[in-house]
Amino acid sequence: MARIPTAELSRYLLSGQINRQGCLRLRRTPFLPRRPPCHNIRPLSTTTPPTSPAVVVVPLRKQLKDQAKALKSSGSSPRKKKKNSDNQTVPGWELTVGIEIHAQLNTSRKLFSPALVPESSLEEKPNTHVSPFDLAIPGSQPLFQPDTLIPAVRAALALNCEIEPVSYFDRKHYFHWDQPAGYQITQFYHPFARHGKIVLYSRDGIAAEDGDRIEVGIQQVQMEQDTAKTLAQPGGVNWLDFNRVGVPLIEIITRPEIHHPATAAALVRKVQMLLGAVDACTSGLEAGGLRADVNVSVRRPGEDKKLGQRTEIKNLSSFKAVEDAIIAERDRQIAVLEAGGTVAGETRGWSLGGTETRRLRGKEGEVDYRYMPDPDLGAVVIGKDLVEFLGRSMGVLPDEEVEGLMGRYGLTAKDAMALMLLDEGGRVEYFYEVLGELEGRLGGEGKGEGSYALLAANWCLHELGKLTEGEDAEPRTGLVTEFVAAGDLAAILYHLHRRKITAKTAKALLWGVFNCEVAPGGVTDAIERGGLWFQELSEEEYAMLADKVVEGEEGVLAEFLRFKQGKSKGYPQGKLMFLVGKMMKMGPEQNLDPASVKRVLGERIEGVYLPQLEGEEK
Amino acid sequence: MLSRARPGLLSPNLRRHVPPSSQQRRLLNHFISRPEHPIEPPPPPPLPDSQAPQRFTLAVKDNIATTSPLPTTCASSILAGYTSPLEATIVTQLRTRGALLSGKTNLDEFGMGSHSTHSAYGPVSQDLDPKTSAGGSSGGSAVAVASGQVDLALGTDTGGSVRLPAAYTGVVGYKPSYGMISRYGVVPYANSLDTVGFLSKSISPISNLVIGSEGRGLWAEHDPHDPTSLSPSARKRCAAQREGYRQPWHGSRNKIKFGIPLEYNMAELDPRIRTAWAETAALLQDTFSARIVPVSLPSTKHALAAYYVIAPAEASSNLAKYDGVRYGQRDENAATDAAAGGVLYAATRGKGFGEEVKRRILLGSYTLSSEAMDNYFIKAQKVRRLVRKDFNRVFALENPLHAPETFELSELPETVEMEDKWGPEEVDFLLCPTAPTLAPRLKDLENKSPVDAYVNDVFTVPASLAGLPAISVPMPVAEADGQGQAGLQLIGQYWDDARLLAVADVVAKMLQR
Repeated sequence: MARIPTAELSRYLLSGQINRQGCLRLRRTPFLPRRPPCHNIRPLSTTTPPTSPAVVVVPLRKQLKDQAKALKSSGSSPRKKKKNSDNQTVPGWELTVGIEIHAQLNTSRKLFSPALVPESSLEEKPNTHVSPFDLAIPGSQPLFQPDTLIPAVRAALALNCEIEPVSYFDRKHYFHWDQPAGYQITQFYHPFARHGKIVLYSRDGIAAEDGDRIEVGIQQVQMEQDTAKTLAQPGGVNWLDFNRVGVPLIEIITRPEIHHPATAAALVRKVQMLLGAVDACTSGLEAGGLRADVNVSVRRPGEDKKLGQRTEIKNLSSFKAVEDAIIAERDRQIAVLEAGGTVAGETRGWSLGGTETRRLRGKEGEVDYRYMPDPDLGAVVIGKDLVEFLGRSMGVLPDEEVEGLMGRYGLTAKDAMALMLLDEGGRVEYFYEVLGELEGRLGGEGKGEGSYALLAANWCLHELGKLTEGEDAEPRTGLVTEFVAAGDLAAILYHLHRRKITAKTAKALLWGVFNCEVAPGGVTDAIERGGLWFQELSEEEYAMLADKVVEGEEGVLAEFLRFKQGKSKGYPQGKLMFLVGKMMKMGPEQNLDPASVKRVLGERIEGVYLPQLEGEEK
Repeated sequence: MLSRARPGLLSPNLRRHVPPSSQQRRLLNHFISRPEHPIEPPPPPPLPDSQAPQRFTLAVKDNIATTSPLPTTCASSILAGYTSPLEATIVTQLRTRGALLSGKTNLDEFGMGSHSTHSAYGPVSQDLDPKTSAGGSSGGSAVAVASGQVDLALGTDTGGSVRLPAAYTGVVGYKPSYGMISRYGVVPYANSLDTVGFLSKSISPISNLVIGSEGRGLWAEHDPHDPTSLSPSARKRCAAQREGYRQPWHGSRNKIKFGIPLEYNMAELDPRIRTAWAETAALLQDTFSARIVPVSLPSTKHALAAYYVIAPAEASSNLAKYDGVRYGQRDENAATDAAAGGVLYAATRGKGFGEEVKRRILLGSYTLSSEAMDNYFIKAQKVRRLVRKDFNRVFALENPLHAPETFELSELPETVEMEDKWGPEEVDFLLCPTAPTLAPRLKDLENKSPVDAYVNDVFTVPASLAGLPAISVPMPVAEADGQGQAGLQLIGQYWDDARLLAVADVVAKMLQR
């Protein structure tokens, strides 16, 4: 749970600057500055060329049109689609998938120039973050920025890779206007990391067919440059923004060891989670900081020795798209083969919401990239000490963290995963922050960590979620955690945990904070002024109220008697809750605690009403 | 044996000392752009004890970036009118040392050629009647120096592009060790081979700048903009293993050993040059008691082929950027230009590049293609290593950039004499012709194949492949109608530039006596 931000680590390792607040030893996450939320995130570009320029630039309008077309072509009356979870295998066929994931590294400078990487959260003016090399000005030369190694190595370590002590940069040649030099500098022959693996558990959302756990090998991780951004203008004119040119990316290439579509999506999700956890990456798939290409092939197991001819589907921009596109491409290939045809090695595309992949270019349109070692760039030598240090300082990785959330705080696997994934890892940090504040307030009385931690987790996940996603939600730009300071939520939870306010009051307070009706830091004041403190009825008052509630409910009480006498198997929990509900309605709600109501009712039924009934029977 | 009394042989050619008239000079076509008045150097930094540097006129090859008002065209239509936003480090360094920028000189487009005839601005010649090749690719710079218009000229040397024109035009051409002089701002032809080179009538202006005194020469200046510029610590380490950097070299001359590479005595060598080469060696032996040792560089015969694989491969990559999108002339009228299914750059590149450049782009694109890579590019890189190994074996000094190697005596040809049971004698410098022929007439080049021109580089390419310092000094040769000029090349071990320049100075003076 202790993570050192990449920027801080860079300062220390490369400039010898140590954070004033203390040493680089592990600190608990709650005190870490959280990453600013990302608005206006620009999508990661494609790094591979099209044969015809018309293919690559897909303006939004065209994309929407394609989606509409794709929907239409799937039949005017929408067929009932098979649920993905029931569509992981096709009898007689084995699917094989390998994935390439591109992620933008979290660094301040470009890969080969000291130009600053544009802040994705800011609307930067086009062409303001460009050095001569980024524009491939004749005579300019690449200057490798060692800072980029830190998030890159962290990412590779999170993916269990071996870090190569010496790696090299190569030029990958192809023409496109977004590629100023006519080549992309990447690591083809000698990448900096190899032989990694990712472990996926059922909680990660892998296909049921893969069981509880599956390992997928990572062939290599390489560093490379991003390309320029094309701004399509009316009249067939394209403008180029070179701010993004040369921004460092890593490409993660898995082995072809995935056999189920859901597992492929789970892998991409997990990679995103891992990269976020080690602060190696700026933003996730859905926000455009990550992009996945999948290689798909099918074969008849037993009959075909070798893997089938693969096709590549480029630029998948959501987890669902990964799964859907693989299913569609698998089914297409099987249909082709069953009809006696052959699958052509080609590059295909996928429209969000579509049902079929479409051909982008065939083998004849493939570019020979003419990979060549870059003669200006020397070897990248990564010291063992750096790798060891980054390994030690990486903190707790998501799997361990999820297990901690489940084991230590008692969260369900689903809630733990949700907490980890929300806001690209921001929500779980927020949770730690709230938990830290809450512990601070509780001081010594916070016995039984489980109870209040679970409470905090539930609120961070569900109650907070309702503010922006529930029935009464209001649309806001930005993350919900920006509008509710951790300290305020902790204050609400502090009073709630100590039963000084009711859950209903707590929820109202949360809305108040969210809507700025409660000033930051003013939760306790608001309770005071609004007279919202919970004044619970005394035991006698509860008992009197309970007596009133059961009046005329003999039929209900009889159910309890039948259970007591062994005439029915299950305790009539529903009946009890009915009585609880009735009592809550009947009594002065602000003075009632549902838990107490339930307890008192249970005790009265057991101790008073049933003996009365038994007495009457006799 | 050399007869010193033979008239004409060692006396300078008088014809060349008659400065051409300004009209004649224009016809030589050696400048691409010239400012009306030479561009003044920037004011010197206001240090109390700094003396104003001595001014000198400088011509810069047009593939080295200068800022406005001088364009940087690389003699290519694709960069017609292009003015660089950046100034090459070497230009900045020389301007702060007093250089007056006299103009940008003509060259073979992007440095690709051996006669400075492949230029969008027309061919360069050193003589008018008949028009004689000035050599290439830095022919314009060589002519600017030879005609007395500038004191010093900058060229670039990828496979001999400074040494060859120097040899043809009778001036000094020096290619420093790779990594000594910054390449930042030099438009790359083949980055792993490109070096900035210097041309002048004599050696002293060059060695004053490059070696200087008290460690103030260009050799000590690392350029953080150039990733292949040696780091300050590597410079110190290399210089510590060499003589002549901290104080001027006055070593005892009789200890100097010159190697004569046996493989360079090839059939294509002009007999007049062979004679002059032999006479020079004899003269060195007689005058300075230098030791002349035959040496073997067995990889020489593959070096030229390796060079013409590696250089075009890198060139095809470097020239990929000229697509008309950001700079250069874009052909917007062409039918294929950005039309549906067309290629945006095909017409632009087809029109913008000259024939020789296109030839090398195609060569390089082929040798890098996935089917040819292993048989050409990878093989060529292996040859490159062998070439370097050859040099390391014959030089007495170690190459400071590589771990010491061991050599198998069995790899040597039997003609090589052994000094003792440890092997043949090791040498300080190699002594050989710069080019196998004298400067040809432009008319005679017209029906030659491109490969004929490539052969001209056979003696200069090995030092480029190994990154070694090399210098060409004028060597008079006897001709039927009097006397001509050839070049004598001296090659030294890596970073032995200081001693190379000092020894070459002695040799050059001896030859001009």
